[in-house]
Amino acid sequence: MKRLGLLDPASAQAVGFEWLTAALAPVSAYGERHASGLRPFSASEASLARSRAERIAAVAAGVDEARSDAARALVRELPDVAGAIARASMGEILDDVNFLELLRFCDVLVRMDGLLSGVYADPLAGQEVLDLARALAPGRSAGGGFYLTGALSGELERARERLDKAQRELDESSAQAAQQVARALGRDDVGDADEFIVMRAQLRGALPAGVRVVREAPTYLLCALEYDEATLVALERRDAAAQEAAAAEEGVRARLSSLVREHAAGLEGAARELGALDVTLAAARFTRRFACVPATISEEPVLSFARARFLPLAVELEQAGRAFTPLDLELDGVAVLTGPNMGGKSVCLQTCGFIALCAAFGLPVPAERATVGLFDEIAWLGIGSDRELGGLLSSFAKEVLRLREIFERAAPRLLVLIDEFGRTTTPLEGKALSVALIERLRERDARGMLATHIGGVASQAGARHFAVRGLRGIPERPPTSDLREALETLAGSMDYTIAEVGADTGGRADAIALTALLGMDRSFVDAAYQALSR
Amino acid sequence: MRVGKELLELALHCGARSLCVVGTGKNVGKTVAMRAAYEAACEQGLQVGLASAGLDGEAADQLGGHAKPRIELRAGTCFATARDVLPRSPASEILAISRLQTAAGALVYARAAERAHCELIGPPTASGLREVLEELTARAEIAIADGAIDRVAALAGGRDAIVVACGAAAATTMRQAVDDVSALVQRLGIARFDPDEPAVFIEGALTPLQTARFIGTGERGQIVVRDPTQVALRGRAAAKAFEALRIRCERPLRVIAVTIAAISPERSFEPDAFARAVAAATRLPAFDVYAGKRAA
Repeated sequence: MKRLGLLDPASAQAVGFEWLTAALAPVSAYGERHASGLRPFSASEASLARSRAERIAAVAAGVDEARSDAARALVRELPDVAGAIARASMGEILDDVNFLELLRFCDVLVRMDGLLSGVYADPLAGQEVLDLARALAPGRSAGGGFYLTGALSGELERARERLDKAQRELDESSAQAAQQVARALGRDDVGDADEFIVMRAQLRGALPAGVRVVREAPTYLLCALEYDEATLVALERRDAAAQEAAAAEEGVRARLSSLVREHAAGLEGAARELGALDVTLAAARFTRRFACVPATISEEPVLSFARARFLPLAVELEQAGRAFTPLDLELDGVAVLTGPNMGGKSVCLQTCGFIALCAAFGLPVPAERATVGLFDEIAWLGIGSDRELGGLLSSFAKEVLRLREIFERAAPRLLVLIDEFGRTTTPLEGKALSVALIERLRERDARGMLATHIGGVASQAGARHFAVRGLRGIPERPPTSDLREALETLAGSMDYTIAEVGADTGGRADAIALTALLGMDRSFVDAAYQALSR
Repeated sequence: MRVGKELLELALHCGARSLCVVGTGKNVGKTVAMRAAYEAACEQGLQVGLASAGLDGEAADQLGGHAKPRIELRAGTCFATARDVLPRSPASEILAISRLQTAAGALVYARAAERAHCELIGPPTASGLREVLEELTARAEIAIADGAIDRVAALAGGRDAIVVACGAAAATTMRQAVDDVSALVQRLGIARFDPDEPAVFIEGALTPLQTARFIGTGERGQIVVRDPTQVALRGRAAAKAFEALRIRCERPLRVIAVTIAAISPERSFEPDAFARAVAAATRLPAFDVYAGKRAA
């Protein structure tokens, strides 16, 4: 999948583009070619994005796991015939390995049509594919291989009969000569190797006729058999017959290659369709596995969802035996998100990005329902986005430069996900910068969410304010210092859901409680609480 | 004597499904031995699979340029070779296209429909050789392969027999040739370890440095490597190590015979004396494939 202008590398990493690409990986070279051409839909292609997602959802619903796996297994094992079709189109005569590849290609298309009947209206195996399959069929061997049989050409069959006869005559003649030598030398291995040793001590008299000395040594002679006149004549006849058979074989290959050339357009089309199917099956599998639904694609740049998940994290949590808390959100402008540390603010932003990303590629989204506009750019700003910039710049400077770049790109429909912008400067200036940023985004009619710990940003900017519900109570620190146990305790106490809140509240000092939970000593934590109360 | 028949019978007698010929060096008669066993198998009416662990069957030696013995495939023989060297004529039945790659393209399994000369190019890895032999034994009654020593690790612990080929081309004196083949046979023939006795298990290769340490500390327990190819010792170091230590392996190889080639373009040894010396040093049946003899 091509990111194009939708995501810069840092934003792609933050919202899980690589993860999504891997989750949607097709199994064949055909699918890889198709996937490499996929690009995000633009705002004017809402209906195309919607119909692709609906198509994928229909395949996910109509093709069960077993049929999907069977179809993918068929495609996975299929050799790539693109090279063979291209070479035939340029007038080359293909080889027998190519014909086996093409035969298997035709077979797989026909079998896929059977496997997926009722799901696809147009068959993959069109007339050109069926014509080629018919032409190659006489070459199909019992074990699923391919051989230029006589059934492909009467001339070939006759040439082979002549070759067999000539070979038999040669074998008889040479065997006769070898037997004579063997008898004369009194041994039975003459002819097993090109050369053989005759020990001088065992040689009575001269070497028999038909034996040539290759090298003489004091105790032995290295010898080779020499063809007699009759064998040489038989050899000439065999070679001539072999040439005739080779010409007949090449004639059949030329005919079959010419058929591939004539049908190249149809075969290439079928290969493209197969690639698209491979990609669709992968997307359908993704849809089933993660219970995705087609989003309503809005003409407006909006983002709202119910019970949405950021799948890269959801999968990681699942592997750790934990569950992702699905999120609900309605975003139609620029909003502020606050909440405790480790409460999932960044994950909420990532979920926004992931849902918008899936919709942009016409994929069903991991949510119960969603309404999504197609954005020209999804930009991530803040934690994790400054790695690619030069090491000489401070974190603050990198962040400002990224912001400037985002504005310079001037994407008409922009979704900006801002994770603690201005966190590295004073709270006062951080707040001022955040308010200015919200105002600038609003002027540009962008959509966005700004996650922050700084109080009062939403009210000063006049923005909607969402908050992670946070800790239900201060959890008891586990008796051990085991981090995993501490995180599980935290997860059990944290309400990761988000809700719109009316005003900026001071909030609880959850950070100090988390510090205790994460193993800092009691006196340190007490000192922090005392400092807070002063 | 039909040396090929003898080699084949030794292999079949010990229940091997494949016969792999390895050599002490280049031009020591690997192909001649392989061809002899192949011809014998065909004459017995066995369905045969042929393969090479590297490059085989080419008309001329890649280094020296002199003519090499060639393998003529008989009709019905399954074989594995690289796609780019598969002869167009006479056409073979193409059975399958492997995912294994060689320097000359994808590895292809085919069945000769007519007699044909074919260059055999095999997979570049030990695991690839294992895969090829499994594929061939699934299609044939016995697989015969020319194998590079560094790839026979894949045969350890399996139903495979190994024939070691030695010859005048790989040594300057008969003594050296005998020492070389003796060391190689001893190395490949390392016995399985005894699980009831103390053992030191070696991860990876047993190196000369490790060996020197074990000898220095007077190690009495078994020194166990995964398979005989993991013993990275040659010449005197190997001889000394085998004398001083109890080197064993987890997955042994099965060496059944030695073949000799007393002749080479550069030098030749007295065939009978060479065969006798090799048989005595290796304590294995030793065959001269050129003279059609077994050492007395």
